[in-house]
Amino acid sequence: MNLGDKIKNYFKEAELYSEHGLLAEALERYRSVEGLVRSTRGIRNRDGILKKIAKKIETTSQKLQKLDGVQATQKVPEDAQSLMKEMYTFDDPEAKGSSTLGGAVALAKFGQYDEAIEELNRLLEYDKLRLEAAKNILWCWVQQSYSEYAVSLYQKWLKNKLFPPDELESIKSYFNELMDEAGVDHEIDEVESQQTIEPDSEVDDDEILDISAVKFVLPRGPREGEKVELEISFQSGKYIQMMISRKEKELLDSINPGDLLKDIVFYSPVAIFYGEGFVSSKSAISAGPKKGDFSLEIKIIKIVS
Amino acid sequence: MAVINLKNRQIECKLVFYGPGRSGKTTNLEYIHKAFKKQVIGKMISIDTEGDRTLFFDFLPIGLGKIKGCDVKVQLYTVPGQVKYKATRQLVLKGVDGIVFVADSLAVRREKNMTSLKDLHENLLKMGLSIRKIPLVLQYNKRDLAAKGLPIMPVKKMEHELNRQLQVPSFSASALSGEGVGNTLTAALKLTLQSLQNEFKWAQ
Repeated sequence: MNLGDKIKNYFKEAELYSEHGLLAEALERYRSVEGLVRSTRGIRNRDGILKKIAKKIETTSQKLQKLDGVQATQKVPEDAQSLMKEMYTFDDPEAKGSSTLGGAVALAKFGQYDEAIEELNRLLEYDKLRLEAAKNILWCWVQQSYSEYAVSLYQKWLKNKLFPPDELESIKSYFNELMDEAGVDHEIDEVESQQTIEPDSEVDDDEILDISAVKFVLPRGPREGEKVELEISFQSGKYIQMMISRKEKELLDSINPGDLLKDIVFYSPVAIFYGEGFVSSKSAISAGPKKGDFSLEIKIIKIVS
Repeated sequence: MAVINLKNRQIECKLVFYGPGRSGKTTNLEYIHKAFKKQVIGKMISIDTEGDRTLFFDFLPIGLGKIKGCDVKVQLYTVPGQVKYKATRQLVLKGVDGIVFVADSLAVRREKNMTSLKDLHENLLKMGLSIRKIPLVLQYNKRDLAAKGLPIMPVKKMEHELNRQLQVPSFSASALSGEGVGNTLTAALKLTLQSLQNEFKWAQ
């Protein structure tokens, strides 16, 4: 095979690999073509060819980088979540809610942390499942790099005497191992966490005015630190709900259940006031014209002024 | 683990399509979904992926009707092939009854096939299963790409490298056109049901 044919063949291979999604292989072939062209004098329009190949290399590299950055922790549709739960569902006739525990653990393992935590929190009500549910809740938070939050949660359980001493000991030992594995320097008993979790509200339902909008700083994610203003779609006493379009992915990724919002501005038709809130839920709307969008709920825990 | 209800004469088992990334596992399921409409008994769930790569799994439920008086249903799953999703592959493998290993015939994917087969072996071991005992079928996919001028490995070479020790049924295929997909599936189902018969004597 002469050099010209070899270059043509390599280029064709690179194009086919790219077409079949084999980007690393395509990149390697484009680079081979580039090397061959570069080392050969007398090729017609050599500079033009090299330019074209350089562009191919750049585009393919960018695609590869983008794919490498994809994480399997994205939210999946409800039917897929049901399937994930089904895979791990077990039914222990001795323990009511056991099938839900299996499902919640499966969701957690597939990286669907918000949904898993929501279900696991419900399972804290069941005596026989409380211990496993608690351990899995801590696992979920640590996996998301919210170790400090996990510590505050553990301390809350400790303070509220939610678990008998033997179970608490089991949780403590598990939690210590979990934090060691995550490489987090920790003192789970002695340090008071900066964050508060699921705090009781200081506010009486009757005291709260009708709120039409809120403004707060996004606590995490791609838009961390940015101020957003959201309209209230529903209010029940100290609980306010907002709609977020599914298209606002960055916004959705920047706020999660459990987040504490320190400086919220509340707009009501008669006054503006300030306070603190706790994100109590974020869930996809499953029916109606807003199907697929998200409902965000904040529990107002404090009014400052 | 298969669910076998001898009283109601019902069997539900799980077949997993395993293999390296981009080897054509999802394409196999898509072809089955399209070509075996009568057998498909539910929605195919294929979670949206970035650049056509599976991040979690694909799922397709099929019904084989009555076999030896039993109503047989099979759940078909694919795993994400990329190396970094090992944990997800372990999750999807849980309760597996049979496996189709989809190998890529392209010469440049030789090592990926071997790495993926080793990964399957390790993941099964973690679950207390042996790759030598579980019902397993190999599929040498993308044979059609030879016609496009891409270098592919001869079947003999793939047999030598992937199946020398396993000695399981193997099939050449082109999942895009569907060639070999039905044969692979049939063989995998036969082996799986035979294995369940040996264990649970469901056909008696």
